[in-house]
This record gives sequence, structure tokens and C-alpha cells, in this order.
Amino acid sequence: MNEILAHAERGMAVFFGIVVLVVAVVALRNDWKTKGLENQVFKLMLGLLALGAFLAILAAVNILAGKGVEI
Amino acid sequence: MAVASVAHAGIVGGHHEEPDQLYVETRELRVQGFLLFMVSDLVLFSSFIFAYLYLRNTGQGWPPPGAPKLDLALAAINSVILFGSGATMHFALENWKHENFMKFGSWIVTTIVLGALFLSGQIVEYAKLGVGWGTSGIFGTSFFTLTGMHGFHVFCGIIYLTILLLQALHGKYTFKKYTGLTLGTLYWHFVDVIWVVLFSIFYLY
Repeated sequence: MNEILAHAERGMAVFFGIVVLVVAVVALRNDWKTKGLENQVFKLMLGLLALGAFLAILAAVNILAGKGVEI
Repeated sequence: MAVASVAHAGIVGGHHEEPDQLYVETRELRVQGFLLFMVSDLVLFSSFIFAYLYLRNTGQGWPPPGAPKLDLALAAINSVILFGSGATMHFALENWKHENFMKFGSWIVTTIVLGALFLSGQIVEYAKLGVGWGTSGIFGTSFFTLTGMHGFHVFCGIIYLTILLLQALHGKYTFKKYTGLTLGTLYWHFVDVIWVVLFSIFYLY
């Protein structure tokens, strides 16, 4: 039961991770030419959001896993 | 629906449509002030993060004996939920900029729900770990302090976004004057970005 749940969690993490990654990259591309202080911060944060989604996908498929985690 | 109609009428009509001189002159200052607040928050998180990294790299190997194993699958889905809420908050602000009040409302409510889901996931993880304050050594102290502090920020963010939504419903913001909504979005992105770091150091490193 726990294994099924873990598989479901991983599947959802990969699927929604890809969705978030694509959305963040598209939003970053759309905002790329905007000016102003807060827009620069937005761009930085959207980039980091994309990075986070990418890391979550890698973690979900067990490519990345730290010490002391249950795989 | 009626409240939304009243709010929409207040936003697009009446004397609030054009930003006044004081608003234009002070807008940049308010944004800078908020960014300074975020930098101070970043310093707070950084000090705890570096303390954790120091303890981790100066001890007798990691994880310490007896430390519970973290659930990577749960953390991955929980992280995606939080990152997804960053995307929905971005949509909320974009819809406000494009003068679409109803979609703004839907996206900000989605963001609040996703934030609450993330907190629920964290509570589940805490329960699964089965350790608490004062009983879990260096690992537990670092883990619970940092993730707990972040969780508190998410909780505050949920309240913050709810207040922004209520203010928007009551016509406090117009489609030309919405600095408060921009700052709320910045705060939510900040909370997301902090989680990218915490997720990396606790689950991937």
C-alpha cells in the first residue's frame, strides 16, 4: 500500500513538475524584456522556480537523492 | 458574484482609475522597502542554513546515528505543490494586469489552496518522522527549525494573500494602482525560492 502511494506521489510530482517547469520558463520568456526593479526580481524568482521544479522532477525519478532519505 | 460585481465596478470606474501623484512618487520607495524586508528575511534564513551546513560538515558523518529517514517522494510532490502555487500566483497578477478580475480571483484562491495543501503535507511528514523538539538531536533541531520557520512563512503568506483578495474585492486596488498585489506576489515567490534551497539541502544533498 505504501509502495503504491509512493509511486502515485512520484508520478504526480513528475507530471506537475513538468507543468510548473514549462509555465515558469514560458513566464520568464514573456517577462524577459520587462524593466523596473520588481520585474528584475520576478525574473530571478521565476528562474529559481524553474530550477526548483527541475530538481523536484529529478528527485521524483530518483536521479537526485541526498543522504538520509528514504528512496 | 454580487460582491465581485461591486468590486469590479469600483476598480474600473469612478475617480480611482488614474494613479494620483503621491502614488506615482512613492511607488518605487514602497517596492524598495519591501525588497529590503525580503533581504532581511533572507539573512535570517541564511544564518540558519549555514548553521545547518556547518553542523552537517563538522560532525561524525551524516546523517547522525538514529536520525529518521526523510520521505523523498512526499517531499517531491509537496515541493511541486508549492512551486505550482508560485505559478498560479504569477497567473493571478498577470490577470489583474490584463484587467480580468474573475480570473485573478480564481488564481489567487488556487494559490491559497495550494499553500494550505503544502502545509498539510508538511504536517504529514512531521507526523511520519515521529520526532519532536528536544528529542531528535542536531538533525531534528536543524530540520524542524528551518522547515518550521519556512512553514510559518507559508502560513503568514496564506493570511497575507487572503487579505489581499479581500482588499481587491472591496475595491482597494484598481487596474492602474496595484502595488500591494505586486508585493504579495513577490513575497509568495520568495517563500517558493527559499523552499528550493531547503529542499536541496535536506533532501538532495
